[in-house]
Amino acid sequence: MLDVADLVTAYGKIEALKGVSLRVESGRITCLLGPNGAGKTTLMMTIAGILQPRRGTVRLDGQELTGLTPARIVAQGVALVPENRLVFPQMSVHENLLAGAYQRRGRGEIASDVERMYARFPRLQERRAQLAGTLSGGEQQMLAVARALMSRPRVLLMDEPSLGLAPLVVAEIFRIVGELNRDGTTIFLVEQNAHMALQVAHHFYLMEQGRVTFSGTPGELAEDEVVQRAYLGARRAAG
Amino acid sequence: MIDFLQNTIDGVMTGASYALLALGFTLIFGVMRRLNLSYGPSIMVGAYLGTLAHLHLAAGPLGVAAVTVAGAVLAGLYVERLCFAPMAAGAGIAAMVSSFAIWMQLEQAAILVLPRHTYPFPPLASATAWLGPFLLRLDQLIMLASALVLALGVQALLYGTRFGLALRAIIGNPTAAHLVGIDVRRATVLAFALASAVGGVAGFLVLASDAQVTPMFGMWATMKGLIAMMIGGLGSIPGALVGGLLLGVVEAQSQWYLGPQLRDLAAYVLLFACLVWRPGGLFGAAPVRDLARGRSL
Amino acid sequence: MDDYLVGVLSNIGVVSFVALSAYLLLLTGAISFGQQAFFAIGAYAAGVATALWGWPLAAALALGAAVSAAAAAAVGLPTLRLHGLYFAVATLAFAEMVRLLFELARYQVEIDGELVGPNGADGFRGIRYIFEHDLGPLQFLALIYGLLAAVLIGFMLMERSRLGVALRMVGEDEVLASLNGIAVARLKILAAGLAGALAGLGGGLYAHLTTYVEPRMFDVMLGVHSLAYGLIGGLGTAFGPLVGVLIDIGLLESIRPLAGYRMIVFGGLVALLLIARPRGLLDEAAVHWLQRAWRPRRRP
Ligand SMILES: Nc1ncnc2c1ncn2[C@@H]1O[C@H](COP(=O)(O)OP(=O)(O)O)[C@@H](O)[C@H]1O
Ligand SMILES: [Mg+2]
Repeated sequence: MLDVADLVTAYGKIEALKGVSLRVESGRITCLLGPNGAGKTTLMMTIAGILQPRRGTVRLDGQELTGLTPARIVAQGVALVPENRLVFPQMSVHENLLAGAYQRRGRGEIASDVERMYARFPRLQERRAQLAGTLSGGEQQMLAVARALMSRPRVLLMDEPSLGLAPLVVAEIFRIVGELNRDGTTIFLVEQNAHMALQVAHHFYLMEQGRVTFSGTPGELAEDEVVQRAYLGARRAAG
Repeated sequence: MIDFLQNTIDGVMTGASYALLALGFTLIFGVMRRLNLSYGPSIMVGAYLGTLAHLHLAAGPLGVAAVTVAGAVLAGLYVERLCFAPMAAGAGIAAMVSSFAIWMQLEQAAILVLPRHTYPFPPLASATAWLGPFLLRLDQLIMLASALVLALGVQALLYGTRFGLALRAIIGNPTAAHLVGIDVRRATVLAFALASAVGGVAGFLVLASDAQVTPMFGMWATMKGLIAMMIGGLGSIPGALVGGLLLGVVEAQSQWYLGPQLRDLAAYVLLFACLVWRPGGLFGAAPVRDLARGRSL
Repeated sequence: MDDYLVGVLSNIGVVSFVALSAYLLLLTGAISFGQQAFFAIGAYAAGVATALWGWPLAAALALGAAVSAAAAAAVGLPTLRLHGLYFAVATLAFAEMVRLLFELARYQVEIDGELVGPNGADGFRGIRYIFEHDLGPLQFLALIYGLLAAVLIGFMLMERSRLGVALRMVGEDEVLASLNGIAVARLKILAAGLAGALAGLGGGLYAHLTTYVEPRMFDVMLGVHSLAYGLIGGLGTAFGPLVGVLIDIGLLESIRPLAGYRMIVFGGLVALLLIARPRGLLDEAAVHWLQRAWRPRRRP
């Protein structure tokens, strides 16, 4: 569904992506693992059109996204839940959701989607009039996810949704990720928490220093010795 | 007591023009987080075009108003294109200095076209009326009404429309605004044009009540708008209104009781005191963190 | 050298002091629109010292620098917690207050049947030290550039010292700097004081160069120009502000055919330059490149 081919993105002279190719299958959860600084966020921002690649292409169902503005990419059906959430702090929860539907027309449908979000995220309904900047980290993450869903994306990109959240909240986020996927959303998830990701994702990529170094199923991932030591073992030892 | 009240009335009237200037200023700053020093000079360019229309085409007040506003918008867009659009995220100071350089350019261009020190500007309405013991000027009442209407209008636009939602989203977080599908560039340019138009209205009303225009008007407008905006609080619409009116009243009272030299001094003392005691302005939130880190302007 | 050239060069030298003053603050991340206030204070103090009190020039210049430094440090205190635009506008407000106070200030003494001293908006005439002491324009030019060279050496020493590193750290990120054990408040006051002294020294020279000062010379325009010089010339080195002054006053003011169009050309050029180089001509990258190009040749 989402095809990334030979993507190169640079900050000045430094190439953060050095020719990344990967594929996100329709209806699945694809997970990208990798250490800090590997280029995961750079990849997400490039797919979303915030960063312009030097080379390579991003296609959605064969249609070229490269070079489109972020707004056009959202309209094409790709929504990103950015790293660190980035809610609109001075706007209410409700307005944040409406902003998520900025590309869409039709007040009635938007309003019923907002209600659907409240049904899925009851905490947000309780706080619908509260300013988003005053929410807790977990609530902000829910809001960021709901806001992205408001654009009715065909692919939902999520950049480290568990970052800095308490274990219980992380579990809640992953429960929602699984639920969204069962309801038919294609998800491309960036994670450092390999253990949690193993429970939901169907396919894994591993990225290191701007390159994809592994591609495989959860089973293959769990068996790969390098991955074992670097991600699963290290995580277990650290946490 | 009568004097004090009359001064207050006069101050509110003048303050209305400051409020209008601050309104446009604060809109630009709110959306871009950058200081446009060429804000006043752009208005001055509009006013010069208005004067030209007055002198050569015998345009009446309404025609001149239209030309002034359109000219201010065009000049504003020129400034945006040259000083703000091409600047990277971290280059707020460069953008500000660049807008200063263009200020110099616009001022000289105005002098080249109309080299005399002052030119007549068509008065809007010179009628006056007594309200009990108080003297009111019609053009100033129009100014006050315009300030209130435009402030309410901008507030309604920001909080009641899709465009306003987009602007507030950009103010909150430009990256996230991109990610929800807002065309940030287009919205920013529109906000800039809107702010210039508000400035153009302010410029027209002030100059019509002075009945003349000079190239120094650019600097005057930038300074008054900046002071009123900072007193009221950066990026706040009610702040712009209150800041402008307060500045007008303080100036009028000190002019009456202390004389013209101390009037300007009083305005700067007020500004300095406001900044030191309430850095966010009367209505502004406390300076946000990236401002505190000195990254952007 | 012809008189015109000496005049232009003297002007460039003197204005460089205010530009360096704004640049020093910029290093600490503070944008000041108000360094002209200390230029003014230095000018008036040094002028009064020679013209009214009969002090020698060196002492007068030192007084101008000292008074300006004290004033700058004093303003530094209440504005300590202001940042970005808030600080910039506070310095602007202060500078305008100073200018307006000079418009009110009168302190005149009769000397040789003539009233001498600051006379409000009419200015302060008759600061004739260099004529009375037979200092020629060339000698005064040498004095200006001697002092400027000393200041630049000071800058270069500072940039390599711990103080310089600390100042740049505060400029990068105050919060981080304080977490690294830097006494941010003290450092900012120190920088404000030093910047004030620099501007004050320049002001003292200016007063004696022109023999006449008036408050309106020290308006916002001078302040914003001083700031702009650093950005035009480059923030990578203390030579940047000098280059900025040189481009503005040296090149454009001196090319006579440009007369009526100077600002149109200057404004446009600066805007384009800042698009290409948002940190000025001599930005950090350019300075780095120049150093690398220069060093190998120096080694035997
Ligand atoms: N704005 C930036 N400017 C320069 N370099 C950056 C920027 N953002 C990220 N980088 C660099 O690009 C590389 C990849 O970063 P990033 O994509 O954030 O990694 P990840 O999300 O995998 O932790 C890192 O080396 C990082 O230092
Ligand atoms: Mg990341």
